[in-house]
Amino acid sequence: MTFDLNLTLSDLLLMLPELWVTVWICVVLCVDFLMPRMSQRAIAGLSVAGMGVALGFLLWYYIEGTNGVLFKGMFVLDRLALFFKILVVGVSLLVLLSSIDYVSRFSFFKSEYYFLVMMAALGMMFMSSANDLLSVFITVEFSTFGFYVLVAYLRDDLRSSEAGLKFFILGVFAAALLAYGTSLVYGETGTFIFPTIAQGMAHMTPGLVVGWLMIFAALGFKIGTVPLHSWIPDTYQGAPTPITAFLSIAPKGAAFAILLRMFFSTLAAFKPQWVWLMIGVAMLSMLYGNIVAIAQRNIKRLLAYSGIAQIGNILIGMAAGTRMGADAVLFYLLTYLFANLGAFAVVIAFSQTTNSDEIEDYSGLNRRSPFLAFAMLVFLLSLAGVPPLAGFIGKLYLFVAAIKEGLYTLIVVGLISIVISLYYYLVVVKKMYISEPADPTPIKVSGVLQSVIYVGLAGTLILGIYPRPFIEYTVAATTIFSHLGAVPVVTTLP
Amino acid sequence: MILNEIAADQQIGFPILTVLTFLPLAGAVLIWLFQKDEDLIRKSAMAVAVLEFFVSVLLMWTFTPNSAQIQFAERTSWIPAIGVGYHLGVDGISVLFIPLTAFLTVLIMVYSWDTERVLLKPYLMSLLGLEGTMVGVFASLDLILFFVFWELMLLPSYFLIKLWGPGPQRQYAALKYVLYTLSGSVLMLVGMVLLNLNFHEAAVASRTEPLYSFDFLDLLTVPVPPKKQALIFFLMFFGFAFKAPIFPFHTWLPTALVEGPIVMSVVLAGVKLGTFGFIRFVIPLLPEASVRWLWLMAGLGLVGILYGAFIALVQSDLRRLLAYASICHLGFVLLGLFALNFQGLQGGLLQMINLGFTTSGLFFLTGFLVSRTGSADLSAYRGLARHLPLLATFMLFLGLAFIGLPGTNGFVSEFLILLGAFRAHWALAAVGVLGVILGAAYFLWYYERAFFGPAAPGPQKPLHDLYPREWGIAVALSVMVLWIGLYPAPFLDMINGSVQKLVERVEQGSVGKAVNHTRLPKAKRPVATGSNGYPDASPPLNVPAELLPMGQRP
Repeated sequence: MTFDLNLTLSDLLLMLPELWVTVWICVVLCVDFLMPRMSQRAIAGLSVAGMGVALGFLLWYYIEGTNGVLFKGMFVLDRLALFFKILVVGVSLLVLLSSIDYVSRFSFFKSEYYFLVMMAALGMMFMSSANDLLSVFITVEFSTFGFYVLVAYLRDDLRSSEAGLKFFILGVFAAALLAYGTSLVYGETGTFIFPTIAQGMAHMTPGLVVGWLMIFAALGFKIGTVPLHSWIPDTYQGAPTPITAFLSIAPKGAAFAILLRMFFSTLAAFKPQWVWLMIGVAMLSMLYGNIVAIAQRNIKRLLAYSGIAQIGNILIGMAAGTRMGADAVLFYLLTYLFANLGAFAVVIAFSQTTNSDEIEDYSGLNRRSPFLAFAMLVFLLSLAGVPPLAGFIGKLYLFVAAIKEGLYTLIVVGLISIVISLYYYLVVVKKMYISEPADPTPIKVSGVLQSVIYVGLAGTLILGIYPRPFIEYTVAATTIFSHLGAVPVVTTLP
Repeated sequence: MILNEIAADQQIGFPILTVLTFLPLAGAVLIWLFQKDEDLIRKSAMAVAVLEFFVSVLLMWTFTPNSAQIQFAERTSWIPAIGVGYHLGVDGISVLFIPLTAFLTVLIMVYSWDTERVLLKPYLMSLLGLEGTMVGVFASLDLILFFVFWELMLLPSYFLIKLWGPGPQRQYAALKYVLYTLSGSVLMLVGMVLLNLNFHEAAVASRTEPLYSFDFLDLLTVPVPPKKQALIFFLMFFGFAFKAPIFPFHTWLPTALVEGPIVMSVVLAGVKLGTFGFIRFVIPLLPEASVRWLWLMAGLGLVGILYGAFIALVQSDLRRLLAYASICHLGFVLLGLFALNFQGLQGGLLQMINLGFTTSGLFFLTGFLVSRTGSADLSAYRGLARHLPLLATFMLFLGLAFIGLPGTNGFVSEFLILLGAFRAHWALAAVGVLGVILGAAYFLWYYERAFFGPAAPGPQKPLHDLYPREWGIAVALSVMVLWIGLYPAPFLDMINGSVQKLVERVEQGSVGKAVNHTRLPKAKRPVATGSNGYPDASPPLNVPAELLPMGQRP
């Protein structure tokens, strides 16, 4: 097999946002190295500006409708990739912003923190475009490297080190699975590229089944579904909270980009086989996540378990396996982004003053900071799916897609888990609004964090009250799945 | 079935239902944002409530009676990808509930005027929020919009019970209420989605747009296959039965009414949201299933009547007694609705409105009593009529209306319900009548013990009779009780048109042609049929002229 790289420079323009971030990462590193007296806030500002420019590029591409394929199909830029890139860059911007106050807790390497966050983001941008198994492996590992360091960044905190170690060992295990699965699929089909794999698979041989299962398991580790969730609670609890927030959304989103390409395009013909896998994993995740969340006393662990359940919800859309299901997955990721990121921003703001993440300490938060309490209320209710917040529309969309495919058992489990989840979210709400505070000093929220929380609030409310443009956005992003059934026609009522 | 609608712009010139829904919510937000002074907060909350009441009276005033049309309609699209729209409108079935809600909210504001309260601001915000969402529930004609308001209502209710309930177990009561209602309503949501997808299939088959719709009027045009109807019927049944609450899903009600604050009891027992859901959505959308499961529904109604009345007989706590009495009266409403004939539906609907005046009146009076004696239990008071003659009088009057004394509103609606039940099957009415007798028994027996018995031993605290503010509440409710009792015609005129259309719908089925009602029990007496298809009531049974539908009046 010959491998030639005859591409023109203009082809590389498709990778412009990635190239820009790569350059900018080097710039940030050099500035930090050459100007040691520069404050970490300035470095933060520099990083934010760089990511902002990258976001600008992406939006420009989105408006222009740029698309194309590079490196013989390894790298693809289409609407779906752009959607996830915008999501990843948007999340990393918000994470950078919410880190600014938190970074003062680190004893060393304050500025390198921003570099690592951007590096992880770069990896995930590539993940969104990965269109073959090899680039899946490389990009997944690339983005995870940044996280291995970031999770253990609180050097003096044993929990953080423990979290880093757990994450690392299980992550390497997942990487091994991914590599082995890839080799099996390559052995059976003789190619790595997703579209050509589909042509090479006439039927499922045992080798293919094992191979795909391993790849799914490795990605399942990324998104944190039961039974591959065991790293999530400890890692979430130990990691620096902005990193927890980052981990809880961005890698999951990017992994869903790969999962969607894998299952909805390459494996579309084998839906009757994999739908059972999706249903099983979704049910287990929803039930396990929600039931175990009841017993949590730490807000980060609670959000970790509720995150497992939320991923179970998203898998409902995967199980539906239709274009509408894909739309619902994308839209739900958006709603989850705003609510989850907002909730973690509140957690950061709270721990900045109180240095605590225990739910018990949230008692009487309404007296100490009505703004934080209200924001948390909105985020938790959105996660629970209470109308008219974003989470409700997202869940409704998922359910409509699944009921249309007749997945009733899955829906019943989903509904039961919603009721359970409302219980533990209400326990937090009760603590914030009804219990008396042990220490009534008011909590100050810095301006940057406040703006992150405002973004979360605005997203959660707008997606709930006026979701139409966002749904159109997700529908546009899933055009590549139009072979999966009727396009939802956007019509206007008289 | 095709229902026409008149846009609000043509009828009144401004989107009155949007105003009614969002005025209280906007009021709540304004109070939250701008006010610090307690007195000002109280006054502005009252101003919002009164303004809302006037607008709702305007709605009732401009409503065209004897019409089956949807009036004051407003619609825009909301989430077109899955067919969710913003569609508001009222017809005879829903129009009376909005002024009722606004009226009760004004009274609640008056009731809470002087009471010293911790957290006054969130309290008034919750009340206004509750009002807005309830009006939204009554005005919504899109299933998802309805669901949004339906769920949103839980939030202020939760806080009202939890924060301001007097009972020691209020936390448990609040959580129980929320989780019970939520479990029912998620099932209801699945039913709604199934209706939407049924519409989708038909739209794809006939190549019409929109492809998806949650719109009530759109869904009415598409027949639902019987098997699917049964499934959807039970899914929606759970949603509304948990909320209503219908026996055997009622266990949250006594807890919430006893542990929660009086104002919450007034709303929960006075505004019948659950049964409204049945007459608004279940019966018209699923007519065949409603006919098919008539025995179950009417049977549950009867069980509720007997169960509620028997438990009420042995209560010594007035609030608990009223809670079980509410279950008993809900049984009547259900019996009326699922008699599925003109009088039954008319009576059931009117009964819901009437209970809004009588039950909530009794709860207000209980609140006055509790504020004086410190408890609603018989052990705390005896022979109260001597000290509190006015309160005793109003209690007796509203109580008699509650149990259906002729001349009061309770009589009109209970009579219509029993009439309807009798025409469905004599046995239903025969058992139902027992409820009336038991009702008289539990109320009068309790009244006799509490107000006329010998005074409790021990030193007597001097009790102050009703203050002018409390007196005003009682008089306002009594006036309504007498008005509907003596001259119900204007109210019946408003609901008749839609009820008549509903009866046609039930008789024709969702397919639009007459179905063979093999399971519909026949009355023994042959029923004459009027020219417009629904049974003509006047010849065999002597119905007072003003109770007849407009077309049949002599």
